[in-house]
Amino acid sequence: MSGSGTEARIFDRGYRRFEGQRSGVVGAVRSVAWHTTRSILGLGRKGRHKVFPVAVVVIAFVPAIAFLALAVLIGDLLEGELRPDYWEFFGFSLVPALLFSALVAPEAIVRDRGDGMFPLYMSSPLTRPTYLAAKVIAVFGTMAIAVLGPPVLWLLGYTFQSLGPDSVPDWLGVMGRIVVAGLVICAVYTAVSLGASSLTDRRAFASVAVILVLLGLSIAVNLLVEVGDLSDQLLLLDPLGLPLELAPRLFGSTGEGYESIDTWAVVAGCLGWIAAGAGAVVFRYRKLAAV
Amino acid sequence: MSGSVSPLAALRLVYGLILRQLVTRGRLIALLLVGVVVGGVAAAVGSSDSVDDPLEAAVRVIADLGFITLVPVVALVFASAALGDARDDGTLVYLWLRPMDRWPVVVGAWLAAVTVSLPLTIVPLGIAALLVDGGGTLVSATVIASVVGVLAYSALFVLFGLLFRNSIVWGLGYVLVWEGIVAAFGDFAAKLAIRGYTRSIITSRTGVDLDLGDLSFGVAVVVPLVAAAAALVVASFRLRRMEVA
Amino acid sequence: MTMTNCWPVPAPVAPPMIEITNVTKSFGDVVAVSDVTFSVAAGVTALLGPNGAGKSTLFRVMCGLTPPTRGTVRVLGADARTDRAVRGRIGLAPQQDALFDRLSGRGFVEVAARTHGVADPQGAAREALGHVELDADDHTPVGSYSKGMRQRIKLAAALVNDPDVLILDEPLTGLDPVQRNRMIRLFHDLGDRGKCLLVSSHVLDEVARLGSNVLVIAQGRLAATGDYRAIRDLMDDRPHRIRITADDPRALAAALVARSLVDGLSVSATGLVVDTTDVAGFGRSIAVVARDLGVRLREVAPLDDDLESVFRYLVERR
Repeated sequence: MSGSGTEARIFDRGYRRFEGQRSGVVGAVRSVAWHTTRSILGLGRKGRHKVFPVAVVVIAFVPAIAFLALAVLIGDLLEGELRPDYWEFFGFSLVPALLFSALVAPEAIVRDRGDGMFPLYMSSPLTRPTYLAAKVIAVFGTMAIAVLGPPVLWLLGYTFQSLGPDSVPDWLGVMGRIVVAGLVICAVYTAVSLGASSLTDRRAFASVAVILVLLGLSIAVNLLVEVGDLSDQLLLLDPLGLPLELAPRLFGSTGEGYESIDTWAVVAGCLGWIAAGAGAVVFRYRKLAAV
Repeated sequence: MSGSVSPLAALRLVYGLILRQLVTRGRLIALLLVGVVVGGVAAAVGSSDSVDDPLEAAVRVIADLGFITLVPVVALVFASAALGDARDDGTLVYLWLRPMDRWPVVVGAWLAAVTVSLPLTIVPLGIAALLVDGGGTLVSATVIASVVGVLAYSALFVLFGLLFRNSIVWGLGYVLVWEGIVAAFGDFAAKLAIRGYTRSIITSRTGVDLDLGDLSFGVAVVVPLVAAAAALVVASFRLRRMEVA
Repeated sequence: MTMTNCWPVPAPVAPPMIEITNVTKSFGDVVAVSDVTFSVAAGVTALLGPNGAGKSTLFRVMCGLTPPTRGTVRVLGADARTDRAVRGRIGLAPQQDALFDRLSGRGFVEVAARTHGVADPQGAAREALGHVELDADDHTPVGSYSKGMRQRIKLAAALVNDPDVLILDEPLTGLDPVQRNRMIRLFHDLGDRGKCLLVSSHVLDEVARLGSNVLVIAQGRLAATGDYRAIRDLMDDRPHRIRITADDPRALAAALVARSLVDGLSVSATGLVVDTTDVAGFGRSIAVVARDLGVRLREVAPLDDDLESVFRYLVERR
């Protein structure tokens, strides 16, 4: 019979169990964090899902790009208002950070509660804490794009234009302070927005809740202090403005209106807001049924 | 067995139906709490002895808390849901495949949103204007600006509910980005910001200057109402031509 | 005979109440319905197709909820998208479950009646709820209804204005067997009264009980229309399969082959299964052959004359 010397091979036996190495909880957390990040930024989806994230990132980077353009054009002539201090850049991040908070946190955690994915995740190696950790990583990471990205870009741009810190140690010091300040700001906004998003099962209302907590409280507190002339310590209750105050403190300066508030109080206030946000999330998810 | 439904009958039917759908305990409690916070801040500022200019302080409280936060947010929550919820969950078909004109559906939904939004804004802001000790002029200006603001924002957000899937996010974008940032950069942009008109009503009645508040009282009242009517006309056209799930 | 999508349909005895002509519906790059032409008269017609075939899209196009990309749609001679009056003569039970959750069942159906301009909305609502066996005095919000109850509420709302055309998208989903039987009887009653009912399903058993008049749609294209037995007869490129039980199957098999009455067969101890393209000739000859051989025939039964086989051949090409 011809062909009797040829080998036979089967390439597909149909369904079989996976026998390879499993990535476990770490892999699950990494997958959920990455998938959530893609969902937030509209990656892998139609163009209309990318409109808002892209718009917010553009709004965040416009001031940095504008100042860099000035640095390129008139370089050494930059003084005063045209050359903000390193920590002042975080003020430009306020609106993009607010918008990102209103968009990102609801997309990250409310959607899973509404469309039945949460029980599915709980039937995997993930537990509530590890699931929430994955979500925090995703929200924190995307928030950092809008908050940390512009000042880092600005520092790098100024350095290339020879307008930055003079020595390497100074440069590393400035970069370190920018990074620390940015991370704390992201941490507070992440915690507060996730906490506010835990209050409702509808993404749209979660966005409104985030705005009311972040912006509404900020406006109320600032009115009490500036207009009502009440104690400056009330500014510790401003979840939007308080973390931004950490930036000037790291650079040995003080933000306007915060002169009478000690640095330890600013740090404690930020930690307090992180704890409040985290507490709201934990409280909601402890009671949430996984069926 | 069925006949045509007159515009007035259609409007009444849709108004009653949407009103029942909009009023939920969670929404009411959350927005009442916001009103309480507004009142609390107003009371604190009003009772403070170290305020240099009580009228200016009162106007700032009402303008910032009321017309940057409370009025647009309340209108957004209810107006975007009025037809937006029905569009998203597929129940719009029960209003669309009917022997009714489209415009009574839009107007009925808008009126339902306004019916819920007005008490949740006028009452806390009116009380806040009293508590902040702004005087009768500020109270009347607040009421007028609230009515104008709610009518205009509600019409715009009803239209958003028919145009966009994520209408609340678009509404927040309008309030925070367009009104909060873009409007400060040019007259044309400012003219498209409802916030400018509500602040102008306050400014023209109290004499206290506010950003974006430099229009006359007449213009500040009429233009938003005309814009509201235009938004409802566009929404009616949209409802007639849209694809219904 | 080759299947085409533009199907030359014999004129129905009653005038058509739904006319679809060269309708195509695309969503961007996705063609949901492709060049479909058919007409439907009074009575019950089943729209049969697998999931994703385009049934719901076709229903939405008929009701005017979405315009066709190409082609024309006429329901009772008008376009529901632009003609206000005809919208009052159509009853639609859509596939989606969402209802106005805060209303009671009667409240929901009464709103449907009022928005249709029904003269006595409360009476009509009560009657419609009676048809679907729901309690008109139950004040429970429909938001807490079970799937089956929601389905029946949708049907009641579709019936309340006594429409001339009823378009029902998977109306039997979620109903228990007793309720299904009752709904099918109701559909037949309505069809006998001159209403045009178009009922979609992907469950063959349901469709077979709705009646023999079907529209088969697959991948957005109309695969066949008419009585499903007649459709089967038209499939002359596919042999009919027939089971024969006899006391000497081997002898019978040899004789059938010798006389070229079959294209293929398989034999077992108790009988045989034959494939033949000439059903009429086979039917005339089998008894004669058996008699000549002295073989006793116990059963001669067609195996693929049912709707499932027709559907499988049309949709799955197997």
